Amino acid sequence: MRYVPYLLIAPFFLLFLVFGLFPMIFNGVVALRHWRLDDPELTGWAGTENFRRLLTDGDFGNALYNTFGIFLLSTVPQLLLALVIASMLNRRLRAQTWWRVGALLPYITPITASTLVFNVFFSRDFGMANWALGLLGIGTETPIDWRADKLHSWIAIATMVNWKWIGYNALLYLAAMQSIPRDVYEASALDGAGPWRQLWRITVPMIRPVVIFTVVLSTIGGLQLFTEPMLFDLNAQTARGGAGGEWQTVAQLVYKVGWKDLNLGYAAAMSWALFLIILVVAALNTLLTNRISGGRR
Amino acid sequence: MRRSTPRWLRVAAVGLTVGSLVVACSGRSTTGGSGGEVTLTINFWGDFGLQDLKTKYEAEHTNVKIALNSGEYNAQHEDLQKKLIAGSGAPDIAAVDEGFIVQFRSQADKFVNLLDKGAGKYETAYLPWKWKQSLSADGATQIGLGTDVGGLAMCYRTDLFSAAGLPTARDQVSALWPTWDKFLEVGQGYTAETGKKFIDNATNLFNPILGQQQVGFFDADEQLQMAGGPKVAFDYAVRAADVGISANLTSFQADWDKGFTSGAFAVLPCPAWMLGHIQNTAPGTRGQWDIATVPGGGGSWGGSFLTVPKQGRNVDEAYRFVEWLIQPEQQIEVFKTVGNLPSQPALYADPAIAEFTNEFFNAAPVGQIFPRMAEGLTPQYLGRKNGPTRVAVENVINRVQNGTLASGAAWAEAIKEAEKAGR
Repeated sequence: MRYVPYLLIAPFFLLFLVFGLFPMIFNGVVALRHWRLDDPELTGWAGTENFRRLLTDGDFGNALYNTFGIFLLSTVPQLLLALVIASMLNRRLRAQTWWRVGALLPYITPITASTLVFNVFFSRDFGMANWALGLLGIGTETPIDWRADKLHSWIAIATMVNWKWIGYNALLYLAAMQSIPRDVYEASALDGAGPWRQLWRITVPMIRPVVIFTVVLSTIGGLQLFTEPMLFDLNAQTARGGAGGEWQTVAQLVYKVGWKDLNLGYAAAMSWALFLIILVVAALNTLLTNRISGGRR
Repeated sequence: MRRSTPRWLRVAAVGLTVGSLVVACSGRSTTGGSGGEVTLTINFWGDFGLQDLKTKYEAEHTNVKIALNSGEYNAQHEDLQKKLIAGSGAPDIAAVDEGFIVQFRSQADKFVNLLDKGAGKYETAYLPWKWKQSLSADGATQIGLGTDVGGLAMCYRTDLFSAAGLPTARDQVSALWPTWDKFLEVGQGYTAETGKKFIDNATNLFNPILGQQQVGFFDADEQLQMAGGPKVAFDYAVRAADVGISANLTSFQADWDKGFTSGAFAVLPCPAWMLGHIQNTAPGTRGQWDIATVPGGGGSWGGSFLTVPKQGRNVDEAYRFVEWLIQPEQQIEVFKTVGNLPSQPALYADPAIAEFTNEFFNAAPVGQIFPRMAEGLTPQYLGRKNGPTRVAVENVINRVQNGTLASGAAWAEAIKEAEKAGR
């Protein structure tokens, strides 16, 4: 009987060993080797050469910069807006279920489908984004070329990410908020706290574990961003992230180096580096969120 | 809330689970079929005019099914390269463009030597340079049989030309631009007169002009030669961007296709294979196009080969189909439906080609225009890294066009990118 729990959780760990841990370790081995698909002769141990090359690779630096730029533009507004929306959904509303389901709709839309629509939305000549901005008198002379420079392309991609994940995070927050007793709010209202103050002083501290969870999840997701930047390119096949790599993320660069330049060893080194970076950033973010939302550790 | 696991461990666990970045590789299996039935897969891009021929061949050979798989140009070549190294998964027949053929013929051991199958008897039928392009360096292995050659011309919109006060008759139009300098001048005049853009994209000037040069990106010793041909072509492309005659539409993308119908540009350098794309994309512009000669004389841009990778299961059936496809009858059929110019010069004299006029292009005598260009051609050596290098330099031109790179700094950037791509 003592072994039953182990037996029951074993399937997950077996699958994890085969499809999670093994590929990762193997990837680490590949990262230490030369492996070029266009030059079968070039094999053998490279030692740390692939990793050392990363330090001076302008493309990798650029991709890292882009990834963090898009990450900041998407994660911060995404979680803040999700909080606000969740606290709205937490009030008494007419057609409550309708609103809650509506918030989740973007999440269940396939990411490729929505990206293709956004692609048209942010098109330079016939896009709705430029049309809407035109109504406000912006860019009527020369329409914004969303794919020409870093800032605009980052905004466009961050919009896609935010659109997809705000509702999902809002529902997570909402679920946590439901467990907060009503009398806490009533008491604070008697003490004169407005809705904004209630949100920051009561709601956020009380749903802290969920906030930390969403921060970690969106850190991982944000730093691995791939589909949106990939499909935002007019010719997705180049995996360049714009003519000058304006919005090329690390995940995209890994794909390009591995499957376009056919340099698997170097690509493996890049993905390992990305893995380590994500660990560090996720840990930092957890500490930070913990502090902000009133935790002691 | 306290748990016994340290927080860092939980974070690490989440990181391990979700964080392992899986780069998936798409695999496709080719099935041999059952009961003596054979399915041949053929990978290509754009329009090779195979739809009708497939039906015809299947009717004649009831045991053969043909699966047409059209994909993106660069992706098809990269996919083939991956499958060759992986040792399985390549199609029975793979089309390879001249821009990539050198890369593949240096791996001749991975392809069926068509000379063993008796392809040697076709050598005399081919343009000599076309035959040599897919022949391995030692001359012992022929990895592919040529289908079409580029043969350059210039397609233009007669309706837009007359609206801008330019002549519309094809001889007069050809006389407008004996050189690329004159061509840019005409373009500037057009843009000044109408306020509309003249060309679709500066990269589509870069490629044909590069095709006209003696030496392309690489010399025969595989050394990058940016200062020669590429510099000439690059300068014209950047000038076109600078004087504002380019609509800056990325080739083979939705906005480019829309440009054909909306009149976003008035001219387009046309290798023979481009005609099929224009007809398919903008059927509504029938009769509004015509074809003049290209400035600067003969040149080629594109042209393909059909290869049979060794790892295929049905190499004999595959070769039989390839052999059937390159017969004059089929080559002429392809020329008529999509415009791809055969690489067998004897066919140029065939009345079916020589007298062929294309109704879509205002009855232009395409059977005269393209063969003339193909025959007056000095073939250029395209290095092993020609494909990636071309993409890299095109991207630099695109950055000049969208205003993120000053044209003065562009050439240095192009050299840098080309060196990186060729590594």
